[in-house]
Amino acid sequence: MNVDMKIRRPIKWGKILSYAVLIIFAIVYAGPLIMLVNTSLKSLPDFMKSATSLVTSPNFDNFIDAWQKANFPRYLTNTVLYTVTATLVYVVTAIFLAFPVSRGYIKGAKIILFLFIVALFLPPALIPQFQLMLRLGLYNNPIGYILLFTINPIGFTILVNYIKTIPIELDEAAALDGCSYFKFVTMILFPLIRPAVATVAVLHAIGIWNELILPTIYLTSQKYYPITRGMIVFQGVYGSNWPTLAAAVLIMTFPMLLIFLLMQRYIISGLTTGAVKG
Amino acid sequence: MNKKHFVFSLLLVLTILLTACASGTETTDDAQPVEEDVTLRVLVHQNPPMVAFMEEFNQAFEEKYPNVTVDMSVVNANDLSTVTQTRLTANDVDVVDMFAFTNAAQPYMKNVDPPNWQTLIEAGYLMDLTGQPFLDNYYESAIADAGTYNGKVYQINLGTVSYSGLYYNKDLFAQYGVEVPTTYDQLVSACETFTAEGIPCMTAGGKDGWPIFVGAYGLIGSIYPDQEALVEGLWTGSIKWNDEKSMEMWDKMKVYAQDMMEEGASGIAGDAAPGRFASGAVAMFAGGTWYAAAIESAEPAFEWGYIPFPGSDDPEDNKYLFGKYDQGWVIAENSPNKETGLLYLTEFSEQENYAAFVNAVGFFPTQPGVTLDTQIGREVAPYLENFRVGYEQYYVAPKGAGQYANPWASYFAPFGTFDDAEELANKVQEDLQSGLDANQ
Amino acid sequence: MRGYHFGGGKSRWAPYLFLLPGLLLYVMIALGPSISTTFFSFTNATGIRGAPVDWVGLDNYKEFLFMGQASRDNLSALGRTLLFCFFVTTIQFSLGLLVAVLVNQKLKGTNFFRTLYFMPVILGAVIQGLIWSLFLYPLGGPMDSILNFFGMSSEFFGGPPTEAFGWVIVVQIWANLGTTMIIFLAGLQTIPSELYEAAEIDGANKWKVFKNVTWPLLTPSVNTNLLLNIIGSLQAWQLFLVLIGYRNGTQVLGYLIYAVGFGQTSGSVTSSFRQGYAAAASIVLFILVLILGTTTQFFLSRRERRILG
Repeated sequence: MNVDMKIRRPIKWGKILSYAVLIIFAIVYAGPLIMLVNTSLKSLPDFMKSATSLVTSPNFDNFIDAWQKANFPRYLTNTVLYTVTATLVYVVTAIFLAFPVSRGYIKGAKIILFLFIVALFLPPALIPQFQLMLRLGLYNNPIGYILLFTINPIGFTILVNYIKTIPIELDEAAALDGCSYFKFVTMILFPLIRPAVATVAVLHAIGIWNELILPTIYLTSQKYYPITRGMIVFQGVYGSNWPTLAAAVLIMTFPMLLIFLLMQRYIISGLTTGAVKG
Repeated sequence: MNKKHFVFSLLLVLTILLTACASGTETTDDAQPVEEDVTLRVLVHQNPPMVAFMEEFNQAFEEKYPNVTVDMSVVNANDLSTVTQTRLTANDVDVVDMFAFTNAAQPYMKNVDPPNWQTLIEAGYLMDLTGQPFLDNYYESAIADAGTYNGKVYQINLGTVSYSGLYYNKDLFAQYGVEVPTTYDQLVSACETFTAEGIPCMTAGGKDGWPIFVGAYGLIGSIYPDQEALVEGLWTGSIKWNDEKSMEMWDKMKVYAQDMMEEGASGIAGDAAPGRFASGAVAMFAGGTWYAAAIESAEPAFEWGYIPFPGSDDPEDNKYLFGKYDQGWVIAENSPNKETGLLYLTEFSEQENYAAFVNAVGFFPTQPGVTLDTQIGREVAPYLENFRVGYEQYYVAPKGAGQYANPWASYFAPFGTFDDAEELANKVQEDLQSGLDANQ
Repeated sequence: MRGYHFGGGKSRWAPYLFLLPGLLLYVMIALGPSISTTFFSFTNATGIRGAPVDWVGLDNYKEFLFMGQASRDNLSALGRTLLFCFFVTTIQFSLGLLVAVLVNQKLKGTNFFRTLYFMPVILGAVIQGLIWSLFLYPLGGPMDSILNFFGMSSEFFGGPPTEAFGWVIVVQIWANLGTTMIIFLAGLQTIPSELYEAAEIDGANKWKVFKNVTWPLLTPSVNTNLLLNIIGSLQAWQLFLVLIGYRNGTQVLGYLIYAVGFGQTSGSVTSSFRQGYAAAASIVLFILVLILGTTTQFFLSRRERRILG
């Protein structure tokens, strides 16, 4: 018994209430996932008999089954490749576009900004885009697919607004020191706007990672499928076999969760620092 | 007209402004001699027994022609037409699995769009197969009905399927002493018996919607046996979806959707339904003949039978199976590998290979001399001479018709929103009429 | 235009040179195709290259908006899109704010909760959809058992359209709450803690602190979230595709456009590709998004000026 225990503190109802709400939400978020794990360890007849009952004798065959039936390492590699490349190209081009627009260093800066804000509302131009890719010879081609993800108006406006918070005097001082335009953007500006860049990159990367419609239209070869497409095809084939399907979903989810947990601090802090100024 | 063309070309210029220079990279049309190494790009839709068969077939084909590599891609059935269209336009495929040519615009239909296959042919994407020797292996009628347009053959069709039947669980029928129904009344009382025993009467893949109405095809068929005439009647106004004859159909459909179907059927996906039936939990399963393979693979020892859906009170009206021509092969007109493609189809059409194919997938053959030697083949054999092509293969909706302009049992709750047969019948007719009127 | 510092002459062209790739990509991938959509909407294009394309004037628009029952069905899809937008935006916005305020407190485990709530965003629509199809499995799945326990039942995604539609709203909010939460969290963290302390010294209760300090200072996040939620939910339909498929009484405009443009298979029949008509529908959706987006933007910026000066 230590001394603290003897002092009667008022019960913190606010704290208890907070936890209660947080835990209710946690159940809503974790529940479906636990169900997924539970299902993935059942045999099909067990599942047919009772979908909800807790698994008694875990059966890992589903994972072997799912692994053998689908080409997951390929899908995962593809998704990572598309996401990283497109995000990189996008971030670099967007910074070089956002900086002069934000500073008004070019004629027509306002028009460009306006065009990008309009783009927020533009209808998804599936049909003409497809015709374009065909003529470029980039249909069913990873390069063409990556090209589709090299713009993102929301990210652009976040960058423009963030750069406005960097004092213009910095430009003057650097220029006086003989710093060139390219060097200034890459060596001085970039480190200063890193939080915003992180936000934009993460938002953009999540979008690519999760895209489902575009791979359906543009990538027809199985060897180019990203995870999303591979998963939906897998569901088409094994849709009735929930235990195998659940195992497949877990196999797909696992690397994503791992990446997310490893980078979690970075992702969430990146999002929190940059997002508001947009 | 010139102005319009000008505007239109302006738009094209705009889209491809930056890329005009790159458009010279199109593939050449030169057919390569077969001796060179060829990669034959084949596209099929997802259907596990067929895919398994095709993998074996491709292997054998590659062994026979060592210079050929077959690159087969598999897409979900729902995506087949999208992927077919995109890959044909991109000149990225040689041989495609395409569904039979149906739903052609008829003279009595006003202002309707041509079906996809017709547009593809007119745009020159499909190879003219007329006169190819392997066509002789097939029934003339199958080539004519499912693969011919304007007197030229573009597709060989690989088989028919029926969608208007009922699978029944032999053990349960025996256990409760229920006769296999041949009339509608018998079906109703069979269901009552099972329900009273706590056994759900019927299942189907209600989550996808269409398996419910496809399961009830026999009902439509027993009332309108000539479905081509039905479609013409609807277009010309001599048949209404809310007239007396149709009301009988709706009343029975209501019973089918609400009393016969098991509770929870609306949550079962189409491809999960055969497994549900094979588990032995339900007495019957309304579905097409293509499910037989899935039932057998789910539970090989399971005893089942297959009958036409008894929609009429007269057993003579219940001997018809309604169905469709299913998939076929086409070759891309712009393919550089046409010769290899023809070789592929020739090999496929060999009686031995073809017979193995139909037996793997459970199609009723379109080649004379080939029989479907599976249980479903034997179950269906007595009705095959009464095989009829169904309504869906003839109907084209008038532009402006509402989304309910079809005789679908899936409009009834719980699959849809309707509870009252008359209300639904009026809505269906109204939706159709609205389209017919809009095109006057 | 403010002064440019990085030299004159040739080096004056540096910014133009470096922005060129970004601008070209934008024109090529977004602006060009979007403008072409307008032109396509006046044609009967099928999307098949080489098939004849005719100029049909306003026919597609007339058919979409005024022709027979089909146009009324289209308008109900439009109404449903608005309804979806309304429910998703309001619920996701309020719950997101609540959760953000809760995890912004100095409590143990907030990091865990943040991570958990944000996780679905990482998983994406396909896996979100699969997880929920399983959770809402109608034959004795978990939610079915829970509802049965309370004497209720639902057909979930296979049931009556309004019910299925409602469940999609639930999943949509579940899936995207994390983003809303994070953006609010970002806003909350920019509010200096001195302000809270000052308010507490003044004896204000928690609600008053929230109303007078947190809420006004949160304006930038409020704006970002509202706009993102409205535009996002008007254009969202991936979950409809994964969870329900194309079913009468559940279609939203985005899905309708895809379905008429790239064909839909129902039973044994696939509809033809009507890309001109689909383009006209895209333009209608565009106008809807534009009107709602700019109106919201207008009121938000007026409010922002009033509050933050």
